[in-house]
Amino acid sequence: MSGVLGLTSFPIEVQDLKYTYDGRKYAVDGISFSVREGEVFGMLGRNGAGKTTTIRILSTLLKRSSGSVRVLGMDPSTAGNRIRKRIGVVLQDESFDFTTVEKALDVYGFIWGVSKSERDKKRESLLNTFELTDVRKKRMWDLSGGQKRRVQVAREFMHDMDLLFLDEPTSGLDPIARRNILNMIKDLTKDGLSVLFTTHNLEEADYLCQRVAIMNNGKILASDTIDALKTGYNGLKTVEVKIGGDQAGAESMFSKVSSGRVEPPFESGLPYRIVTENTQETMQEIIKLAVTESVQIEWLNVRAVSLEDVFISTIAGGA
Amino acid sequence: MNILNSYRLMIRNVRVNTDPGTLVFLVLMPTIYLVFMGYMFGTLISQIPVGTTSINYKEFLSPGIAAFETATAGIVAGGLLWSDRRYGMFEQILSSPYTRAEYLFGILLTTLVFGFIGSGIMMLVSEAFLDYTAISLMGVGLIVVSISLGSLFFGCMFLAIAAKVKSNQAYNSLTILIIFLVDFASTVFYPITSATPEALKILFYVNPLTYIADVVRAGYISTVTTTNLVELLVTLIETVVMVAIAVLLYRKVRVGVT
Repeated sequence: MSGVLGLTSFPIEVQDLKYTYDGRKYAVDGISFSVREGEVFGMLGRNGAGKTTTIRILSTLLKRSSGSVRVLGMDPSTAGNRIRKRIGVVLQDESFDFTTVEKALDVYGFIWGVSKSERDKKRESLLNTFELTDVRKKRMWDLSGGQKRRVQVAREFMHDMDLLFLDEPTSGLDPIARRNILNMIKDLTKDGLSVLFTTHNLEEADYLCQRVAIMNNGKILASDTIDALKTGYNGLKTVEVKIGGDQAGAESMFSKVSSGRVEPPFESGLPYRIVTENTQETMQEIIKLAVTESVQIEWLNVRAVSLEDVFISTIAGGA
Repeated sequence: MNILNSYRLMIRNVRVNTDPGTLVFLVLMPTIYLVFMGYMFGTLISQIPVGTTSINYKEFLSPGIAAFETATAGIVAGGLLWSDRRYGMFEQILSSPYTRAEYLFGILLTTLVFGFIGSGIMMLVSEAFLDYTAISLMGVGLIVVSISLGSLFFGCMFLAIAAKVKSNQAYNSLTILIIFLVDFASTVFYPITSATPEALKILFYVNPLTYIADVVRAGYISTVTTTNLVELLVTLIETVVMVAIAVLLYRKVRVGVT
């Protein structure tokens, strides 16, 4: 990595950024944040939260509607090409050339002006790292979704950069491939690479990011280090309760829980969560309520508060 | 705009498009036209008047097929923008150190390359199959200018279509329809005669492939007339108009939207 040392300690600085596609509804609605040098900054949010639009603005693909943006110390609306020379972008949508895996990597390195010898070296190393050696001669359209995604992420490392945008880079990947990519990103940040990373996978964010912003409906609802975000939950634990059979009485039953804060499931099939100080008391209360309300409990689980709990709680509170 | 960047993109376009499918499309299909029609119609048609001289059907058809390659190259150009949009590479390249203008110019350079390669191969095939004669220096000049203008015209025409259409099916249907119309309503395969219906004549005269085929043919047989120069001028004007239309529509192409 060529590094940005001495130029700016904040490769990304965003103030009151807004973007509207149609002039009426804001996809990004007045967000402010900054990314430090050598940091992995995570943007977490549901689909349509505004994460991808933010990345498109910062990577110069879209022009902002209003607000102030500095990327590597430059304004994307006036210094697009100078910024693009120093960034890498892995977009959320699939992108590939109609050629073989190894040629796709080589051609991508070529358009970035990487010399032939360097391309050969990087290609071989990336084929190994991303476990693509067996499919190197295969054409892109013959690959599985996960393999295509691996090529798409690997391709971006064919060139050097100071700042990397990763828009859900691990979607569709198996756990091992995902962990390899995360470890590679972690290693690169040690050399000064800064990363803006969006994901739905909160375990990933917990593993990789120093700081995160939780977005919903175009706004940042919370932004801090993961530890600081969890601080509000110090000494608390999460009791998960999966309801079996008829779900009808569940809502009424959980509305009567008094020993902790109840967070209903994000979608059907997921457990209810109760954030509590006294797990023993909460579990007894739930079992008692289940009997009186005739609600069937499939299973019950106690665990430490996770980033997912913080995320759900923040989204629920901000919705 | 950095020309070197467009050159890089042109190399990329050629590298990712030199697959067997494109080569068949670029070479095999016109070769089949050339060989089959050349031999079959050559036995039925004796001499065709061209400019101040007359030639046999094989000599008439060869330059026509070379000119026809400009339209084929145009389809490749439009296909590049379409597939880059459809498969995400348009957005990916624009997030790399390339401007939209450089991307567009890269595609136009690619069209020229495919136009010249296709026409060149057809000329070689003509030599092998159709006893073709040597071309004068002036003829070469006329052919080069004509092939360049033709490749640019059709490249821009199919680019404009690729910038507008919303589905793969629409793009393929439109290109097939247009390529048939352009090829058969031109002097690639047959001359315009007094027997040609008036309505068809209008179609022939609006079609730049008529002029490109005529000028390439004049270059082949080295009998250039004033009409050929007028035809070159008309092709130039039509090309300028088509470039303007393509640029206008291309500017409206949004990233992440097909």
